Amino acid sequence: MLSLVAYLQLPGHPRFHYDYVAFINRAYGMTRSPGRREIEVKVGAKRGFWYELNKSKVLFLMILPVLLYFLIFNYIPMVGIYYAFTRFDFNGGLFGSPFVGWDNFKFLFQSGTLTQLIKNTVLYNIAFILLGNVLQIVTAVFLSQIPGKVYKRVAQTVMFLPHFISWVLVGAFSYQMFNSDNGVVNTLLKELAHPTYDFYLQPEPWKYIITGFYIWKTLGYGAVIYLAAIMSISDEYYEAARIDGANVFQQIRHITLPLLVPTFVLLILFSLGGILKGQFDLFYQIIGGNGMLYNATDILDTYVFRSLTVNFDIGMGTAAGLFQSFFGFLLVLVVNFIIKKTREDYALF
Amino acid sequence: MKRKTSKLLTLLAASALTATAVTACSSNSGSPESAAPTATQATAEAQATSGPDISKKVELVWYLVGEPHKDTQKVVEEWNTMLQKDLNTTVKLNFTTWNDWETKYNLLLTSGEKIDMIFASSWAGFYKYAKQGAFLDLKEMLPKDAPLTWQEVPKQDWSDVTLGDNIYAVPSTFAEYTPNGLVYREDWRKKFNLPEIKDLDSLEAYMDGVKKNLPDVTPISGKAINEINTLYLDYHDFKTIGGDTDGVIVASSYDKPRDVVAAPFTPQFAEWVKKMKSWADKGYWSKNTLSSKQEAGDFIPAGKGAIYWRNPSSAGGFINNTKLKYPDIELAYFPFTRFHNYAIPNLSINNGMAIPKSSQNPDRSLMVLDKLRNDPKYFNLMTYGIEGLHYDIASDPKHIVVPAKGQDPKVVTPYDIASWGWRYEPNMKTTEGGWDGFDKLTAEFKAETKPNIFAPIYLDYDPVKTELAAVHQVYEQYGQPLMLGLVPDVDKALQTYQDKLKQAGVDKLLDYIKQQATAYYDEKGVQ
Amino acid sequence: MKIKIEGATIVFNALGYTLITLLALFCLLPFWLIIAGSFTSEVTILQEGFNLFPKVFSLEAYRVVFSTPGQIERAYAVTIGITAVGSFLGLFFVSMAGYVLARKDFVYRNAMSFLIYFTTLFSGGLIPWYIMITKYLHMKDSYLALILPLMIGAWNIILMKNFMKSIPDSIIESAQIDGAGDFLIYWKLVLPLSTPGLATIGLFIALAYWNDWFNAAVFINTDTKFPLQFLLYKILASAEVLRSRIVGNLSLSNMEAPTETLKMAVAVIVTGPIVFLYPFLQKYFVKGLTVGAVKG
Repeated sequence: MLSLVAYLQLPGHPRFHYDYVAFINRAYGMTRSPGRREIEVKVGAKRGFWYELNKSKVLFLMILPVLLYFLIFNYIPMVGIYYAFTRFDFNGGLFGSPFVGWDNFKFLFQSGTLTQLIKNTVLYNIAFILLGNVLQIVTAVFLSQIPGKVYKRVAQTVMFLPHFISWVLVGAFSYQMFNSDNGVVNTLLKELAHPTYDFYLQPEPWKYIITGFYIWKTLGYGAVIYLAAIMSISDEYYEAARIDGANVFQQIRHITLPLLVPTFVLLILFSLGGILKGQFDLFYQIIGGNGMLYNATDILDTYVFRSLTVNFDIGMGTAAGLFQSFFGFLLVLVVNFIIKKTREDYALF
Repeated sequence: MKRKTSKLLTLLAASALTATAVTACSSNSGSPESAAPTATQATAEAQATSGPDISKKVELVWYLVGEPHKDTQKVVEEWNTMLQKDLNTTVKLNFTTWNDWETKYNLLLTSGEKIDMIFASSWAGFYKYAKQGAFLDLKEMLPKDAPLTWQEVPKQDWSDVTLGDNIYAVPSTFAEYTPNGLVYREDWRKKFNLPEIKDLDSLEAYMDGVKKNLPDVTPISGKAINEINTLYLDYHDFKTIGGDTDGVIVASSYDKPRDVVAAPFTPQFAEWVKKMKSWADKGYWSKNTLSSKQEAGDFIPAGKGAIYWRNPSSAGGFINNTKLKYPDIELAYFPFTRFHNYAIPNLSINNGMAIPKSSQNPDRSLMVLDKLRNDPKYFNLMTYGIEGLHYDIASDPKHIVVPAKGQDPKVVTPYDIASWGWRYEPNMKTTEGGWDGFDKLTAEFKAETKPNIFAPIYLDYDPVKTELAAVHQVYEQYGQPLMLGLVPDVDKALQTYQDKLKQAGVDKLLDYIKQQATAYYDEKGVQ
Repeated sequence: MKIKIEGATIVFNALGYTLITLLALFCLLPFWLIIAGSFTSEVTILQEGFNLFPKVFSLEAYRVVFSTPGQIERAYAVTIGITAVGSFLGLFFVSMAGYVLARKDFVYRNAMSFLIYFTTLFSGGLIPWYIMITKYLHMKDSYLALILPLMIGAWNIILMKNFMKSIPDSIIESAQIDGAGDFLIYWKLVLPLSTPGLATIGLFIALAYWNDWFNAAVFINTDTKFPLQFLLYKILASAEVLRSRIVGNLSLSNMEAPTETLKMAVAVIVTGPIVFLYPFLQKYFVKGLTVGAVKG
């Protein structure tokens, strides 16, 4: 632990420098110098697979169970994607059923609403991801800094509660709040001598309501991740800043937030893969079968669901899923590539 | 992620629960001369001991939908003792439970799990699965392994479960009438001197009266779509074809089965939606009805609703139940059959049993079914429970008293499992103390019965599955609000609806259904 | 030492308390309404909607849930057992994988990260997964079918990798120089330094087990093996069905099972234990050993 005196005598003391993180790291000689193996690899001393296997024997063994797990539970069942291209028949099973090419995908395009659906799905997801993460970061930052252990524990527990409230209940709740007969909001409006508003007939307000509900439900859960990330930040950085006279806001700005960026980027990247997939439960429970609201609230998942209720078809269901997966995949590839070019260690893979 | 797909499919079940109610309740086909075989046949000792070989002990796996009763284990033990003695067989009885039963049903069949008999029904995808080859052809086995059943099931019923040349299930034999209708508060009608409900105008007068006298009450609270949709179909005598429930493509009336039209383009439809708008504006149902998740019937005991869509069976249950808990509320029932004065019995395969392809002992399974249907000892045990515990035979042998004398009804609850698949009319018994209106109605229906020529029309939508999905979407998004009068401008909304339907390919769908229907009528000689 | 509280800190704390309290209230209020609702009679809910205190007190919903004695207790036991075993094993494998992927000198880490991440993008669907588990792994109606599918998740692994990346390389390098093997480094060095990450991922895995009902729905037939959530959903579904299906001409009142209040009672029963346990878990959200201390 550096003494104050020693600290002040270090070269490159950051008075007016503000990059406490880099400074401390340098002071400890912990700058990002590539390890020996990394250098070997970069210099092109890449050996064959078996050489590598032998050298990192233990590491391979340690990750082997996980790889096997995914092989069994994810990769082998992935053959099911082929259903999207067949018309299923029990006599043929998966591979024997007749091949129908792109037929199963047609229903996505037929009703003419695909663009609207994609737009809704994507926009909602972006709102969820961005607003959600930002609010979670803010919450986590505050929670980590303000004093009062009991208060913080209670608050954290309470904020976790919405996670346990199923969307079914949220839907019931939403109905209680917004219905025009005896809903809470309309009752309030009546008391204020304001004309009532038919929420369930107007599509416009729902984008805010739905986003609000989603953020509310995931706040506690998501904040935990950021809280844990903040906990991993060494006190030393804050000490350095404090000694230098930085106040709380400045500490957050220069230490906490920059060090949370990797997690933030990671979570965003991760969510991008599901950009065309939605929170089916959320939309289904809150909106239900109300066609009047579909323009603003229908997403791909609910659309597919309704198509399948009328004629459950394995081929169509799988085709829809494939469609969603494929777009998400492309998006992630592109964004990951861009990120890799700028800051390599932020990339997902 | 698989989570998303699985959530998608599982929620299919949730909505399908509502759909099943509609499908199961709408009038379906059956034979007018519901086979009334002699009682002797049913009680005869059906031991054709010179029949099939039962020297090998076999354990079968059966699946039923829904939940077991808490005493099912006891009952099945008893059943197995009897089966072991008579047929050298035991059965492991499994249930899908009610949550996600459709997904589970689907998985059981597609994964090829070894099952020897499973409940099958037109509302459990029987036709779809049969077409896809999920079930075994029973044609050869039936005369040999289930001779009694083979004799007693009417030809019409066998034809209901025949696709191509193969028989894919054993339908239950029980003429059931489940037309649509409305339960309503009779005490309010009397109180406010409203006319008896016998047609659309009197219905309107009733709702009007209720609304005027009880401003706090919404006549059809909660989800009104079932009430209105069935009213719309039955009032106009639009007949849906092949189990469809949307009612976009219909036959224009029972007497004109070959006149298959797209209903939203008819003048009757235009008139109807205008009327519905006026009803909605008068407040007969809530503006939020499309998003409400509660049934109209929930509100009746709470004194906030007046009308509930039910078929006679479930109406009986509802009426009895309400009478028990709220004796001041008086309920009556109006069946929609009175609009045009005829009734159609249910499709025989509304309930039945089928054998999946994966079965290892289909012949033995059929033997067990044969016994179950015809031997009263077996039938009573598996359908009503243990005599002396769950029920007693009443003074009239066609009735039973539930629970048996001396048993506490709170402890010994009625033995009720999904036994509908093996129903056989001569063996059926009614519980004493049911709703008295039920028998009267059944008599009324039997007197005016006509054959069901619409439900058995099998529609494999494969060539038009895209159009079907698209039309369904349009129906939900534009049709439902229009039919519930929730749109601000009816003419414009109607035009939009029609345009969207055209865009979705309704014409192609119409042609396809017309074609299939015509082929069926030609085959059966329907005019 | 005099503790001088700066102006900025006061502002910050004020902001913090306000925001957090508001958010907490927003999260608490609906849940409170649900608790109150679960103790209300069904009819009142339909007439009056949600209220802060039950207008007409009723234990009917809970009575329905607990109607079969021993059932709930058994389900709790199953769920707790599965959660404990699954979380422990899952955390072990996930943290190992995260560690390996975070090691910069592991050449294939990017390729493997991709392979693992890829499983979250594409899926063969429900049916092949079901067939794999029942037909090829023979896990139908077994506890394994409840434990294995949730044990290892790509999201958890990648998140764990992220947490472990914040451990400086030099620590690992110096341990390597000292001759420690890779597993030992993981076990003795990296794990203790990653307690917040472990606590987080452990929590997520445990929650997934706690909340799961789907696996039981499709795989389990024996009622002694039903976990809690599934049992409760089963009760809910039965109650719903009793209302809307044809149940024949039943005259007895098996039918008015409360559904709105039942849903709420279910939510309370499921959340209850977590609410009591979570505060204990929070003590693991402490800072790992500081950077300097290790070096120093």
